[in-house]
Amino acid sequence: MRSSTGTGTVPRERGRVTGGVGDSARRPDGAPKVDGSFAFSSDLWADDMLWGRTLRSPHPSARIRSVDVERARRIDGVVAVVTADDVPGSPCFGLEHRDQPVFAHDVVRFHGEPVAAVAAVHPEIAARACEAIEVDYAELDPLLDPEAAIDADPIHPDGNVVRHLRIRHGDVDAGGDVTVEGTYELGMQDQAFMGPESGLAIPDDAGGVDLYISTQWLHVDRDQVAACLGLPTEQVRLTLSGVGGAFGAREDVSLQVHVCLLALRTGRPVKMLYSREESFLGHVHRHPGRLWYRHHATADGDLVKVEARIVLDGGAYASSSSAVIANASCFAAGPYRMPNATVDGYVVRTNNPPCGAMRGFGAVQACFGYEAQMDKLAAALGVDPVELRLRNALAPGDSLITGQVIRGTAPVREVIEAARAHPLPPDPDGRPEVLLPGGTGLTASRGDVRRGVGFAVGFKNVAYSEGFDDYATASVRLEEGVDGEPVATVHSAAAEVGQGLVTLAQQVVRTELGVERVILRPADTSIGSAGSSSASRQAWMTGGAVQAACNAVKETLLRRVAGAHGVDVEGARRQLLVVRDGWVTHVEGDLRLSLVEALDGRPVEQVSVYRHAPTTPLDPDGQGDAHVAFVFAAHRAVVDVDQELGLIRVLQVATGQDVGRALNPVQVTGQIEGGIAQGVGLAVMEEVVMDDGRVRNASFVDYLIPTALDMPEVAATLVEQPEPGAPFGAKGVGEPPTISSTAAVVAAVRDATGLELRRVPIRPEHIALAAGSGADGT
Amino acid sequence: MIPAPFEYVRVGSVDEAVDALSEHGEEATLLAGGHSLLPLMRLRLAVPEVLVDLGRVDELRGVRDAGDHLAVGAMTTHHQVMSDPLVREHCGVLAEVTGEVGDPQVRHRGTIGGACAHGDAAGDHPACLLALDATMVARDPGGTREITAADFFTGIFETALAPDEVLTEVHLPKLDGSWGFDYQKFQRVKQAWAIVGACALVRREDGRIGEARVGLTNLGSVPVRATGTERLLAGAAAEPDALREAAAQAAEGTQPPTDSNARPDYRRHLARVLTLRALQNSLAS
Ligand SMILES: Cc1cc2nc3c(=O)[nH]c(=O)nc-3n(C[C@H](O)[C@H](O)[C@H](O)COP(=O)(O)OP(=O)(O)OC[C@H]3O[C@@H](n4cnc5c(N)ncnc54)[C@H](O)[C@@H]3O)c2cc1C
Repeated sequence: MRSSTGTGTVPRERGRVTGGVGDSARRPDGAPKVDGSFAFSSDLWADDMLWGRTLRSPHPSARIRSVDVERARRIDGVVAVVTADDVPGSPCFGLEHRDQPVFAHDVVRFHGEPVAAVAAVHPEIAARACEAIEVDYAELDPLLDPEAAIDADPIHPDGNVVRHLRIRHGDVDAGGDVTVEGTYELGMQDQAFMGPESGLAIPDDAGGVDLYISTQWLHVDRDQVAACLGLPTEQVRLTLSGVGGAFGAREDVSLQVHVCLLALRTGRPVKMLYSREESFLGHVHRHPGRLWYRHHATADGDLVKVEARIVLDGGAYASSSSAVIANASCFAAGPYRMPNATVDGYVVRTNNPPCGAMRGFGAVQACFGYEAQMDKLAAALGVDPVELRLRNALAPGDSLITGQVIRGTAPVREVIEAARAHPLPPDPDGRPEVLLPGGTGLTASRGDVRRGVGFAVGFKNVAYSEGFDDYATASVRLEEGVDGEPVATVHSAAAEVGQGLVTLAQQVVRTELGVERVILRPADTSIGSAGSSSASRQAWMTGGAVQAACNAVKETLLRRVAGAHGVDVEGARRQLLVVRDGWVTHVEGDLRLSLVEALDGRPVEQVSVYRHAPTTPLDPDGQGDAHVAFVFAAHRAVVDVDQELGLIRVLQVATGQDVGRALNPVQVTGQIEGGIAQGVGLAVMEEVVMDDGRVRNASFVDYLIPTALDMPEVAATLVEQPEPGAPFGAKGVGEPPTISSTAAVVAAVRDATGLELRRVPIRPEHIALAAGSGADGT
Repeated sequence: MIPAPFEYVRVGSVDEAVDALSEHGEEATLLAGGHSLLPLMRLRLAVPEVLVDLGRVDELRGVRDAGDHLAVGAMTTHHQVMSDPLVREHCGVLAEVTGEVGDPQVRHRGTIGGACAHGDAAGDHPACLLALDATMVARDPGGTREITAADFFTGIFETALAPDEVLTEVHLPKLDGSWGFDYQKFQRVKQAWAIVGACALVRREDGRIGEARVGLTNLGSVPVRATGTERLLAGAAAEPDALREAAAQAAEGTQPPTDSNARPDYRRHLARVLTLRALQNSLAS
């Protein structure tokens, strides 16, 4: 279901080609992914290749006294063993700070930190060689409490506090008639993508290397790999291979440096493929957090001030922690008018696993806190929680607690109304038993079940912030195909990670050039960077770059036609010659050429770089126009809870989502459903369980994710208000579904149980053992 | 991981299987559906040198009416058990429990013999067979012996079977219409293993409870009977208070494991709640 709200009509079709912008065009990789013929990076193969394997630290914190690789080296079939001593370039890599060693040298700082790597003729031999490496560790007491880490002895030369972001806005002494306070906690969520980390490195004859890899950002990988290998960037070439999900976990380097180093060492192709366990240990997770909040409001329900202290656990290395805490802090008040604010956001190093990007990126953590507060405030004021949100909803022209005025669209009221408008699911009575909590286990009977409804609203930025030079490059080539029809080829380094960027690139070209057939070249580093497939930015950024390249192609073509046919295109007269519906036409004359005729046997190719409007850094009070645009979504969750068992069945999540414009409604809906799955997961089951710094559940048996049978019905309304300045008016859609869906589910469980439930994921015992005991459930 | 190398022997009869086991001794392991064994081999937690495949031993498949009991061949798959008319008529509880095992793929490969011989206290069968007072039939070169379910499950992944014994049949007592039953399986995601399960069998007798038996899944290193509950219910009135009081004893004397799914106190809580519900449903069924 979709509804268009707001001003103006959206031009749906520019050309007569089908599969253009606004259509639910089919994914070019859809059928191959369903029938199994799509090649994922785990399918990579080269003749005579070796298998790489990483040895990882079993301890969260230890001094390395010695590493002895001799026994491993002597194993038949082992071709190379490398350690920190073998890294020719920079010993460290990192997205924002180069602080993470390629291999631990003197200390290990988290369970799973790489210590050595092996290349062998068979993966099992590589595994055994890793076991044969003798590492003498002197275990240290791990630093595990992020709050304590702020003042504790540093576990890293760069200190423990990766960033403290301070926001002071308005009158910091302001107070309200009513205040509510609470502390909230989130466990560590994993991205839980299906395709484990894998890559194939092939050395060339000149000391360079080609790396085939599933990643989110080829160029940032390339730069880190080149620096660690001590090679100029031209000698490290990356090509994207089939990505089996990402969700942020592939933004950081995992095996990239290791596999290239082994390939250069051995002079042979080397493949690495993580097991599921290694994947859990080998990539960053969502930051666990502890958030303290105090909200002030007038007796009428107008928000006056928010005070917040947010502490996120960044784990051992910085990754993208600085940007994550920026989001958590900047959006700490939620999508509400908040005239005054004091927010202190900390992200710190501990000996827990490194945390970095995950869908929602800091906004998820904050939303869980402020939305719980909004419900508490509504209860304190005796008003309906949805009405309280509507009353305080941000609108265009309002400013955020960073002082930034929203210049683009902000349909907060609209997304709330849209989520609320969906019909509620039927009563528990009369539903099939499998829809009760416990489902197939048939543990709940109807009499045990209580229904709850919860609401939450969230928002975040699109694309990169705080003055980052955010750009995307794309090239488009137009030529005559062998069948005499025009064909366009798009080249970009943007990573298709499942979100459907490949479809979108085709749609943009079809709409702009009127060409039905659009071929996508593999993404690689032979073209300029497209930035990361993260921050909900590629539809906007690479969409913009492809559109700009199409326009440049048109321009070249029209000038060619003008020259060949003596058409005057000087000054304003240029507007008279257009490409429309796959034809070049002159508005005043009778010139009408097909694209193939206009090409006249010579292809046209143009490369464009697209940048969004610049942003600025935050000042010492956390004030500044740090973000380019904002996306909003509201979620209403309906749950049935068996309180005695603590079992939750999420029945329905209804949502209204601000999409700017739906470029491909089916794909948008797919993003919404998938994002809600991850939001539901964080609410009721997903957690990397830590025990004294060690990961306890590095498998899909023990790390629970919702299956198809656990997923609620999703009822979605796409709220379309074209964003000024965004290509086609489209905002990103990937992250908003995860931001407030978690908070909405928890609100619904609170509604059903009356428990405070300050922590996610909610574990069954938080409900079952709290009920009747007088405890409030943590 | 790839399993360690092994030799593969396919047998066509129970006798051949027994011969193969006695020939290879402790080195040999029987292969049924492979749904427990193969994962262990891939993790190299099981490293058999010889695999003796029972897959073609037809005499071990199927359900037979043996008068006062049913005889279920060890190689009968979960799917066959749950859809078998004799089982449904005379031992519906096993059909219900078996329907809770894994997903359809698992149920089409996994066998009742494998589920018993694997001896996993988290499996759904052991608690049910214990509550049923089922009997296991095993054969070795010396002949055949019967082992009660209570004697069969001896420890963590351990059973009373000797290395050279083949489990041939499971004997299920027939339950008449006076018996009600129910299995409550608690899991956090669908189609997962039980975090705790409670299997109840209740014989109704003129508005009273003639006999009640409760088997508990995953509440210790072996499946256990909720003996405290059973004792309180013998001859008790079939009334809510009596059930509640009895169910409150369900976890007495148990030593539940702790893992990332649940701590012992929560497992005990679940045992009490699930037992009560299983009893209530048994009376209503
Ligand atoms: C994904 C998945 C989910 C599952 N979920 C559940 C679940 O929810 N509940 C549950 O209870 N189980 C579950 N199982 C286990 C399933 O029930 C297995 O099928 C069963 O435990 C073992 O049966 P099998 O025929 O596969 O035995 P196998 O794996 O072939 O053998 C298991 C063991 O029994 C021995 N053995 C087998 N047959 C005999 C015999 N006749 N005599 C002596 N020894 C014998 C073998 O040597 C081996 O040691 C699951 C399995 C999988 C793979």
